Amino acid sequence: MKNPVFKKSLFALLLVAPLLGACKKDNDEEPTPDDDNEQITTVRYELTPAGGGTPVTVQYRDLDGDGGADPTIGTLTLAAGTTYTGKLVLLDETKNPAVIISDEVKEEADEHMFFFEPSNVNLTITRTDKDAKSLEVGLETRVVAGTANAANTTGTLKVTLRHQPGTKNGTFAPGDTDVEVRFPTAVR
Amino acid sequence: MDFRFLAVARVAGALWLMLLASVVAARATQAQPECMLSLSGRITDHESREGLPGATVVVLETQQSTQTDAAGNYHFHLCAGSYQVQVSYVGYSRETAVVRLDGAYIRNFQLHPDAVLLSGALVQGQRATAPSPQPSTTLTGAALQQTRGQALGEALQKIAGVTAIQTGPGIFKPMIHGLHSNRVTVLNNGVRQEGQQWGTEHGPEIDPFIASRLTVVKGAASVRYGSDAIGGVVLVEPKPLRDSAGLGAELNLVGMSNNGLGAASATLDGNIGKLPALRWRAQGTLRRAGTMQTPDYYLKNSGFAEQNFSGAVGWRKAGYGLELFHSQFNTRIGILPASHAGSKTDLLLAVARPAPLETTGFSYDIDRAYQQVRHDVTKLTGFLQTGTAGQLQFTLAQQTDYRDEYDKFRPRNDNLASRNLPELSYTNRTSTGELLWEHKAWHRLTGSLGVAGTYQFNRYADGSRQFIPYYTNLTGGIFWIEKWQLNKWLLEGGLRLDRRDLAVKRGDRSANGAFFVDRTRFRYTTPAASLGATYDPTAHLTLSLNTGLTRRAPAANERFSEGVHNGMYELGNDLVPGAAALAPETALNTGLSVHWHTNPRFNGEITVYQNRILDFIYQVPLTEPVQTVRGSHISWQYQQTDATFRGIDLSSSYQLAARWLLALKGSMVRTRDTRADEWQILMPADRAAASLRYDWTEHTGRFRGRYAQLGVDAVARQTRVPDNYEARDLLATPAGYVLLSLEAGATVRWGRLPLSVSLAATNLLNQRYRDYLNRYRYFADEMGRNLTLRLHIPLELSRSAQ
Repeated sequence: MKNPVFKKSLFALLLVAPLLGACKKDNDEEPTPDDDNEQITTVRYELTPAGGGTPVTVQYRDLDGDGGADPTIGTLTLAAGTTYTGKLVLLDETKNPAVIISDEVKEEADEHMFFFEPSNVNLTITRTDKDAKSLEVGLETRVVAGTANAANTTGTLKVTLRHQPGTKNGTFAPGDTDVEVRFPTAVR
Repeated sequence: MDFRFLAVARVAGALWLMLLASVVAARATQAQPECMLSLSGRITDHESREGLPGATVVVLETQQSTQTDAAGNYHFHLCAGSYQVQVSYVGYSRETAVVRLDGAYIRNFQLHPDAVLLSGALVQGQRATAPSPQPSTTLTGAALQQTRGQALGEALQKIAGVTAIQTGPGIFKPMIHGLHSNRVTVLNNGVRQEGQQWGTEHGPEIDPFIASRLTVVKGAASVRYGSDAIGGVVLVEPKPLRDSAGLGAELNLVGMSNNGLGAASATLDGNIGKLPALRWRAQGTLRRAGTMQTPDYYLKNSGFAEQNFSGAVGWRKAGYGLELFHSQFNTRIGILPASHAGSKTDLLLAVARPAPLETTGFSYDIDRAYQQVRHDVTKLTGFLQTGTAGQLQFTLAQQTDYRDEYDKFRPRNDNLASRNLPELSYTNRTSTGELLWEHKAWHRLTGSLGVAGTYQFNRYADGSRQFIPYYTNLTGGIFWIEKWQLNKWLLEGGLRLDRRDLAVKRGDRSANGAFFVDRTRFRYTTPAASLGATYDPTAHLTLSLNTGLTRRAPAANERFSEGVHNGMYELGNDLVPGAAALAPETALNTGLSVHWHTNPRFNGEITVYQNRILDFIYQVPLTEPVQTVRGSHISWQYQQTDATFRGIDLSSSYQLAARWLLALKGSMVRTRDTRADEWQILMPADRAAASLRYDWTEHTGRFRGRYAQLGVDAVARQTRVPDNYEARDLLATPAGYVLLSLEAGATVRWGRLPLSVSLAATNLLNQRYRDYLNRYRYFADEMGRNLTLRLHIPLELSRSAQ
């Protein structure tokens, strides 16, 4: 082909070449772990009997984050007629060392509130800590285990953390849910 | 209510069809000589838009000439080819246009009065015509003017068969015949818009003020525009660069009462008389809106702010031309806090409330959550006429899309919070190139051969959430389209072959939390073919039939999106445990359209279509939720099924009396999932719109082209949804609604300037309603009454004496 058009088209293709040259650099770029992103992998509820004794701990743990492998969720068993001092620990274990999210919640206690909803289990849970505006927080609690569950039955304890910047008023409604986990729970 | 509405719509539809049938039957075919391609159109006054009777129209090549009839219509019969058409009328400046004829063609002229000192303007411009047998609709001139101030996807809803997936008042995603996102290709000034177009809450990053024409090609146009264009194509075309000497300007001003929207757009274009080949244009837009009002409350954080500019420089001679174009689009769009939920519990709470928990007064402030988007395009395009071989065109473009999405709350950690980074942050860089050779007419064949290539790189910022992985996408395509024209027939056939190489790098964590990068690579070869015919039995009737076969390779988001976004868990198909990798989808598209035009009274178009898509890739909420630390989430997964889309679009107008024009349009689409034997999710409900317009027909005086128009828009409830719908999608579909609108306008002479002014009221009765395709429908009502004032000022700043 001696057609001049053909030459021009080759010329145009040459123009494209530098654009395509960009590939090499892009191939070297790699996804990085979302280091700066805070997530919560672990929710741990530590319950210490008021009169002393072995603490009881229950844990929700999802190390690979949302989706993927299912979380592991422990079972909480409390003794009938016992009063416990409860403490919630939230962790991001994708970081090394793990970030203690509950410390950050404590720092911003006026933006956060925990809610505890037992069902089919006789528990009375009271928040014992307060923020600067005297609204309850719930990182620290008093848990009274009442009568034992009927044999072979287990209830649940739902723990919810509401994130309510600027809108916290002691109720559930404002804000968003940061944590909502359900622990199988029984009083024996 | 719905029942009555549907009954009325059916009766009206039947009457309309009978009317159409009688008109078609009335047109007896006549014996025609050989070259009978119809070139017709209407000559109007640019300002008053009134027909100019007795204007002279000359085809320079053949020296055929004619005069327009009482309504300003003209009509020629010509052979296929390229012609210069010259229009002249006493008191108006003469205009010449190049028209390429390969089927019946309508070319309207709007003449400028001499008094505005526009004389001697030689308006040349050759526009690529849309593929002929394909149904397409263009918004231009007065119709486009009526949409000024709206987002691109919002404006396109004026076209029958085009709807939009909406996210509040700022985001409109165009939907054609029930298809959207990856399947609708948007050509922004000839460049395929590439960014994060997969997301239903990502509007096209285009300033509609740049366009002097918005065209929608309905149905698959994959052979010409690439294998993704299964649903259709949106063409955003600016005015051609100025070819007459002088300096012109155009100013558009828009104000809205409901959300305090203010928009100002200015265009400046020039051509130095000494160097007539050199021409340029500069354009900029500012658009800002505050809090939107429903009839009962303000929608918190619903404002947006947009700043755009573009510039173009061209050098054009008869034999060759070159044009450099650059544009930048910037927007910040507030997101309703109620829609930005943390979990399913939050969503259910928000959905159950009759009004959002947090409302507000009026404000222009945009707080978290918001989207911040920037889109840059640089394009170099050129053509070369080669005497013997035809024409060669090339387009090279580089575009970058930056999309940052900020969550409602800053991070808990103070250090992170003070950096105020977006939680989602993507950069998408795309280089495209296309080379097109249009061969010279050979016997009765005209056609073109092209190669097109795309290189795309997508990443998310370090530290932001992944959601869409890193990927590189390399696409190459070759296509060939031929048209064969004989008498009243035009046949068009096309073939295309695409090769896509998609390499994905996805960050993930193993069950014990260790980070790793998952690499996958896919290569697809996808063919496309189309065949169409157009038949013009008379000068006023065009029948078109087109069929197409397209295979579309799956995109990265359909395979690998993952994460929680606005309280919903989204998962790409390939990440579903046990799912097979996605296969390309195959679309078989058939459309028939009847277009009756340039009649004195009754004009219109009906399109009937079927789109059968095998292995249709779609997103659907599953009944089984996903467990996360924030509780259970509705899981929206990508799946494949077989789907059939069938529908009809109608648009028509009837001149009731000298000054009264009645217009009616409507569309219906029915989409079945044929594997599950149920309706498809998120399809537009049936809709119809009617308007009655009165035109004062004065030719002199201070006010010209006065008009008033009353409109009714009706949308039925979408009753065709997947089985067990409420359990899957939180809320049943909203009720149907009927809205009234009123508009009046005129061209006012201010000194020598013809100012176009209009005032439009939408949702005149301030009704409460929700729309199925608005993502805010779960949480809030639509916009209440809104008054829009539009002002258009054309300026002729100087004319260099030649």
